Amino acid sequence: MTVTSHDNVPTTVLDGAVKDYSRDKVYVMTALFLAVLTIIEVFTYAAPDFPVWADELLVPVLMILMAVKFFTIVYVFMHLKFDKPILTKLFYMGLVLAVLVYIAMLSTFRIWHNGQHG
Amino acid sequence: MAESLTSRPTLAAADAQQAHAHIDADTNTGISNTKLGMWLFLASECLLFGGLITTYLLYKHPLEGPTPHEIFDIPFTSTSSFVLLMSSLTMVLAVSAIERGEHQRMRVWIGATAALGATFIAGQIYEFTVFVREGLGFTTSRFSSAFYTLTGFHGIHVTIGIIMLVSLVLLSLRGKIPEHRAETVEIVGLYWHFVDVVWVVIFAVVYLIPS
Amino acid sequence: MALTEDRPLALPSGGSDDGYTPTGVFTRPTAETGARSWFTTVDHKKIGIMYGAAAIFFLIIGGSEALLIRMQLWAPRGTLLSANLYNQVYTMHGTTMVFLVVMPIGAAFANYLIPLQIGARDVAFPRINAFSFWAFLFGGVFINSSWLLGGGADGGWFMYAPNSGVIFSPTHGIDFWNLGLIITGIASLTGAVNLIVTVLNMRAPGMTLMRMPIFTWMALVSQFLLLFAIPVLTSAQVLLMLDRGFHANFFNVSKGANPLLWEHLFWIFGHPEVYLMILPAFGLVSDILPTFARKPIFGYPFIVFSGIAIGFMGWGVWAHHMFVSGIGPISVTTFSLTTMFIAVPTGVKILNWTATMWGGKLKFSSPMLFSIGLVTMFTIGGLSGVMHSVAPMDSQQTDTYFIVAHFHYVLFGGAFFGFMGGFYFYWPKAFGYMLNESLGKANFWLMLLGFNLTFAPMHVLGLQGMSRRIYTYDPGYGFEFWNKVATIGAFTLASSVALFVVNIFYSKVKAKNLPPVGPDPWDGRTIEWMVPSPTPAYNFDPIPTVTRVDDFWYRKYGETKDGKLVRIASTAEVAQQRTDGKGIHLPSPSYWPLVLAFGLPIAAYGLIFSLWLALVGAIIVVGAIYGWVMEPPDDPDKAHDDHGPDAHASDGGDAVVADPVDAVKEVETVG
Repeated sequence: MTVTSHDNVPTTVLDGAVKDYSRDKVYVMTALFLAVLTIIEVFTYAAPDFPVWADELLVPVLMILMAVKFFTIVYVFMHLKFDKPILTKLFYMGLVLAVLVYIAMLSTFRIWHNGQHG
Repeated sequence: MAESLTSRPTLAAADAQQAHAHIDADTNTGISNTKLGMWLFLASECLLFGGLITTYLLYKHPLEGPTPHEIFDIPFTSTSSFVLLMSSLTMVLAVSAIERGEHQRMRVWIGATAALGATFIAGQIYEFTVFVREGLGFTTSRFSSAFYTLTGFHGIHVTIGIIMLVSLVLLSLRGKIPEHRAETVEIVGLYWHFVDVVWVVIFAVVYLIPS
Repeated sequence: MALTEDRPLALPSGGSDDGYTPTGVFTRPTAETGARSWFTTVDHKKIGIMYGAAAIFFLIIGGSEALLIRMQLWAPRGTLLSANLYNQVYTMHGTTMVFLVVMPIGAAFANYLIPLQIGARDVAFPRINAFSFWAFLFGGVFINSSWLLGGGADGGWFMYAPNSGVIFSPTHGIDFWNLGLIITGIASLTGAVNLIVTVLNMRAPGMTLMRMPIFTWMALVSQFLLLFAIPVLTSAQVLLMLDRGFHANFFNVSKGANPLLWEHLFWIFGHPEVYLMILPAFGLVSDILPTFARKPIFGYPFIVFSGIAIGFMGWGVWAHHMFVSGIGPISVTTFSLTTMFIAVPTGVKILNWTATMWGGKLKFSSPMLFSIGLVTMFTIGGLSGVMHSVAPMDSQQTDTYFIVAHFHYVLFGGAFFGFMGGFYFYWPKAFGYMLNESLGKANFWLMLLGFNLTFAPMHVLGLQGMSRRIYTYDPGYGFEFWNKVATIGAFTLASSVALFVVNIFYSKVKAKNLPPVGPDPWDGRTIEWMVPSPTPAYNFDPIPTVTRVDDFWYRKYGETKDGKLVRIASTAEVAQQRTDGKGIHLPSPSYWPLVLAFGLPIAAYGLIFSLWLALVGAIIVVGAIYGWVMEPPDDPDKAHDDHGPDAHASDGGDAVVADPVDAVKEVETVG
């Protein structure tokens, strides 16, 4: 019933981690990617006049960078990439609901017209 | 249809012969209860932090007292954000280690995660004291209340995470995290990454977007 | 499930399982009867019953407050209550009825019925389930303790800013309200996580989602609503707490705060809240009507999907509570339209119920009468609700008694009638004796009469222009007559609730001379009627294998070629026998949920009176969490932890459960 040999133990318990360290390389590369994005984010502060995000494009660029970081962490570090799809659905249900409801609410305050968000 | 209906096992006794009748630990989704529960909790947390972020967005322009961009120290906060981001890497390496059954390595990575988290919290406390010294008290303006509440609430979440991580290391040292409970590490990890992800949003929305 | 396959849970490494000995401060309690068994229970059935009992206790409190309101308004210039006291009484009435009566009764049914309807032996996290109940109970007691400690909250159940600030409400009433509802919110949230995981993960073999009884479906949707709505309220309440206790500026208008922030957050929570209160009652009715019409529910998928649709659309209508708050024409138009749309799925349900009864051999037992009561009364409330979606009309009716009439028709005429039907329907399953039918019918007619006498006149009063929340009125506006009628109705209603309580005890005494009620007194359709009444601790032995909707019914009945029902088996043949339950793994009781929940109100009292006390509460909470985590996963005497090969072989015999499965089971009792 229980398998005792190391060799034919399939990848495991949690979600299919591997015996060697290849998954760890993915994690390190992901962290590097996130670090680069963070540096770009901070660069928008250090050099606000950089042509890519001058003036009205600044907020969209920041929001895109933020979203990419957010979903990268959720996808790789939180294992949604490797896990059952139902977890992704449940989490995104809450996330999408929060985003939609709160954007609708802020819209009723008409805060987008005060120049706060470009 | 009577024929097909009677041909199936209708009697209660027949249920006992069914293949899975007694395995009550099975789960329908294939995901453990604890992990599914943690994800549901995190989905719910989206709305909690969403409410506080929305409040901040509504109140970010104070009528009096310092404004956000007079007071923020972006290079400092960027550093502490970076520290928290890297704690996600150490956390995921800890999970990876316990998946392979390497307890010692897991403890090291979790310890590193807790240390990075503590560094972040220390940075936040320092930041708050500097802000207060510069005249931004909790009750100064609508901006100050919203700012301290949002970031403080996040800080409390990080602190709870650190306590859980330290508890994990202690449990592991005493041999209380055997292989069949290894998923506990992953679940604490989910919470930790979520806290990190919330900071990703706060860092961009609160600190980086200019007014 | 991945974890049960033939493989170890991780690569074997240094330490092996054999040396694993859990640490615990207490050994797990073992009492199965007596008071201690109730304090330490993790059994979903006992917890469900306690939810129900606590809710009826709070119903009596909230009902007494309602009677005080009606006595005050009996005649113009009433003097029973002062203006200040009146504010407290109606605020506490609303708060109690919403958070401490209707929601917990929904939780009571959900707790009791979901595992039974999906063929599970308990919920996913039994200890968290117990914690949810105790946190709800202590939160409710905490809120009501304000009466003894300086007066209740006085801002209305929606507690609009800036009236909720210290300047306008200097007593501690609102603090009690605020912190108490944060505690019950924690209870609801943990309960929601627990029940959703239960439904998603613990269904019996063959019980696919689309074979689940409608009640389970509706309860699932309402738990999702709780999961996402409660944190919104909590975030608003944290802001209010910081404002009142720590001088923050969230609702301080002089610092530029916008009081509409509270209103938005409250109603973003508040409208899903309305649906999550009504959906469990819809579910009960959807199970009761087919039973007494002896027909399957008409359009099962439509009922299910309309419930889900209500769940989603319920998030897009909140601002219809705020049409007169100056949110602007675009917002008003948008929310007007969404509100009109949400009437559609609700209408689908009404149609389905009507069609279920159409052509059936209706048997007008008490549960059936209450269910038909829901269908009719809720329709009236629903129609006045659609009227409110028309913004110009709503602007006229806002803050008048018309609104009061409307929401009592949906919450009392809808939710509460459904719950009463549920009580009569499931009483034999929970307690092993039937409630008296004659008294039950009298109960229904008295309640229907009292309900309509109380709330129908409020439509008229509202259209005449009587404001809600005023503590008195002057003679000469034409309010006198209908207020008297409403007051008479309120006392009729109270006597019908009293009759229900009388019926409980009367029937219990009478039941001693009656033969024991069988597993299936109503000729039921769903699998909870397979198990003996009252339900044994282990629920099912064995777990049934489900092949279709209304599985139990089709174990009893088949159809001939021309569609006529024929009995193919007697109830005794298909129902389960009561067994000794040996060899069935059940979670062990625990003290920690009680201790953990007890720490919460202590901390809350501390936040109001002294931060030192808050520290004590926090220490109790943290200590209880550690106790909880360190507790042995099970009663050691039951030999479930050592993974011995014979752990399961004792009596069940036919189920050889391998090590990994047993290990998983342990992980799952961690909750």
